[in-house]
Amino acid sequence: MNSLDDFFDYVASMGFERFIRIFWFFVFFELFRYMIIDLIVLTIAKILKVLNRKKTKEALYRLNLEQPLVSIIIPGKNEGKHIFKLVKSLREQTYKNVEIIVVDDGSDDDTPTIGRDMERNGFVDKFIRNEFRGGKASAANLALRFTNGKFIVHLDADCSYNYDAIIQIILPFYMDSKIAGVGGNVMVRNYKTSVATTLQAIEYYDTISIGRVVASQLGIYRIISGAFGAFRADAMTQIQGWDIGPGLDGDISVKIRKMGYKVKFASDAVCLTSAPDNFKKLAKQRLRWDKSLIRFRVRKHRDVFYPSQHFNFSSFFSFLENITYNIVLNVKWYIYFIDMVFNFPHELTFILTMNFFLYTCTNYFKFLVFSLYRTEKNTSISYFLLYMPLMVIYFGYYLRFVRSIAYIQEFFFKKSYDDPWNPPKTSKYAKELGL
Amino acid sequence: MALENVKIDAANGTVDYLNSKYIYVSQSRDLKIDRSLSYVGIIIDGKNADFTRMVVKRIRGNQNSEIYLKPIIILNGNAHRDVFIKTLIDGVIFSFDQIPLIHEHVSTINNLTKELTVINSISFEAMVVSKLLYFMFTRELKILEPVPYALSNTNYSFPFLACNFNEFEEYQVLEILEVAIQEGLFKHKFLDRIYLCSNCKSSHLSFREACPKCGSSHTDTFDIVHHFPCAYVGPITDFTNDIDDQLNCPKCSKKLKHIGVDYDKPSVLHKCKNCDNRFQDFHVKAKCMSCTFDNPVESLVDKEINEFTLTKKGESYALQGYVSTPKDIEDIIGTVKFDTFKTVTKYEVERLRQTEGSSNIIAINIENAGQFYAKVGSNAQQLLLKDLVGEIRSSIRSSDMITFYSSSVILVTMFEIPTKISQRIIDDILKLLEKLIKNNFKDLVIEIKANVHQLNYNLSSELQINQLITM
Repeated sequence: MNSLDDFFDYVASMGFERFIRIFWFFVFFELFRYMIIDLIVLTIAKILKVLNRKKTKEALYRLNLEQPLVSIIIPGKNEGKHIFKLVKSLREQTYKNVEIIVVDDGSDDDTPTIGRDMERNGFVDKFIRNEFRGGKASAANLALRFTNGKFIVHLDADCSYNYDAIIQIILPFYMDSKIAGVGGNVMVRNYKTSVATTLQAIEYYDTISIGRVVASQLGIYRIISGAFGAFRADAMTQIQGWDIGPGLDGDISVKIRKMGYKVKFASDAVCLTSAPDNFKKLAKQRLRWDKSLIRFRVRKHRDVFYPSQHFNFSSFFSFLENITYNIVLNVKWYIYFIDMVFNFPHELTFILTMNFFLYTCTNYFKFLVFSLYRTEKNTSISYFLLYMPLMVIYFGYYLRFVRSIAYIQEFFFKKSYDDPWNPPKTSKYAKELGL
Repeated sequence: MALENVKIDAANGTVDYLNSKYIYVSQSRDLKIDRSLSYVGIIIDGKNADFTRMVVKRIRGNQNSEIYLKPIIILNGNAHRDVFIKTLIDGVIFSFDQIPLIHEHVSTINNLTKELTVINSISFEAMVVSKLLYFMFTRELKILEPVPYALSNTNYSFPFLACNFNEFEEYQVLEILEVAIQEGLFKHKFLDRIYLCSNCKSSHLSFREACPKCGSSHTDTFDIVHHFPCAYVGPITDFTNDIDDQLNCPKCSKKLKHIGVDYDKPSVLHKCKNCDNRFQDFHVKAKCMSCTFDNPVESLVDKEINEFTLTKKGESYALQGYVSTPKDIEDIIGTVKFDTFKTVTKYEVERLRQTEGSSNIIAINIENAGQFYAKVGSNAQQLLLKDLVGEIRSSIRSSDMITFYSSSVILVTMFEIPTKISQRIIDDILKLLEKLIKNNFKDLVIEIKANVHQLNYNLSSELQINQLITM
């Protein structure tokens, strides 16, 4: 009881200047960038959406009139068990003019039998098999060769899609002719499986989904999710498909930007995915994702910062924001922590408690207020309220720690090239060529 | 066996040997099949295989046993080398002088033919089986072998049976043989398997790999190349150039060096020259050369080709004739299948083991069925069987069952009833049946007998049914 009284006394006696001095990290980065700016941009986006209703309606009319062929490609290894369910959900789509192409990247289970059977029975238009695994990029590129559509939609086999997901992801192409890539809104299907999946579901709702709406509105949206992304076929021909991963979804978004096209986020195009159900698996996934930030943003596409033929400000700011708020901020947090340990060693418990309190309040506020801007959700948000305090540990400590390891591994040891997600035969060359 | 005993009547086209007359058939003579009835055998000029085949088919395909069982001899030529003809004829001579050499064989066939009780079968299928059994009996054959025959629509031919069908219906031979096996007339040994067109049942098929979209087999095949460094995937033609034989990646412009090191060929790609479709797996199609229907191989009808050996039952049917297939008598209203009868009897025996009651099965035999069926046509036979069943049904309880073991043996159940009463009921039935036959078939004498068997729960039902049938 004494401690609690001490804590309140400490907060009450702090004063504004001292508050800023101690909680500068929260105020300048978290509050300013991830709440205030997000709220402003979300409000602008909402207003623009209302103002653009007529434009959207016209675009939808043009789309329905043209009924372009959409090629849905599903590359993967050992995904046979998911394909039937996925294809069934695709057949339920409101948009019917689609061709479904499944590429089996050297599966060693029943996938070839299942795929051939589905092709024979007309569930998929083409089933293509690579006898030897070449990696996701090569499988997607092989699928690309067989497509006939005006638009290419790339899907993951273990995901499922809202009945109007295809039309919603194609619609932005009819709103702006410069758009060549559109990312879908990925949500967590198995949010009730474990604490890990529940926390990821909250993260997907707020940080990922809302973050992408904001980024898209600011013109700095940078990752078209591999689980659900749509591309203009002519742009794909220009950029000659995917390059070696991991992180090929972020890479292709940059390649499209560099060609002078825009990439957009379609929050109404909903895809449900199965998130890793424990923290160990999640750490592996995030290490892969975070390493690709260094590999692609800092290394492969660093020319975005240089004046060149393909220079454009949106790509420049997209990269700058990405690097600042991920890499720099991550380092700054450690600086903040050291600052606190050395300069306020006796107040550390209060500071940590206050930080926890501030972040939790902000998280609740964001979660509830952002709900006003969320057009799609796959369950009642009340389910998540109980878990919100855990988000501070999850996001502030767990993910930050994983991210830090990933940056160190990639920056100093180029570990992404050793990731088994990609076959070593291809990673070896990508490493040599700095791809 | 002197030449002077062979007298040739060129004007009438006959050959006389020891008062036995043969009819001679050649291309220059118009064959009237019915003429052959009064001759001991038919000699066919074998110079032209097509002509010979046509004549032999007409004779063996006839429905009159005195014609289709008539001995056929080939004179001269090479026609007998045709496997189809060879199976259907009874001898080859190279001049009329050689008639004495085959005369004894001809006589044997004719004598065996006389031993037959030729009956009229209820259905076409039963008639064909009867014909086969008669033919095998008169030729003293035990084994029926298929012959590989290019002119047959099923590629394997059973010539004697094939004579009964036109070329487009020849597949029905296999169905008839299946009936004969089910009836226990033949044992069979697997020889081969054939595939038939799903549309016309012809086996003249051309198998080929075809485009899954348009069915054309006009295609090109390329290797798919995967360039590791940049993940470019495409047909090898993307990597070739007109200047040298190097392979260069169209995406990253690098030279491909070593397969398995910086590139591989994970699959192949086929391109249809007809519709430009690109695909990986051909559809295997079987184009029917008879009706031109392009069959997906999955839809082909597969049939076993067997060698058939006559069983004892088959031999007995060869003498008495085969009246009806199971399907023919199953169609008679008021009866159940023989298998159902056996199952129900089996359960009744089991039940008796618990209750120790009295249940009976009865066999009603048409003793001279062969003679009867030989004299009346198919319709009359079916009518008689229907009337018999109707009469029996009206005299027994609705819970009792009637089945045909054969066209001459009817089995009836009478469960939960003393044997004496069963005997009395069956005596009444026999009287009714005699009356019925007298009224409907005035000129015929039909002997009907019945045996009542009380089921014994210590013996198997199968054994008891067999005992009853053979009583």
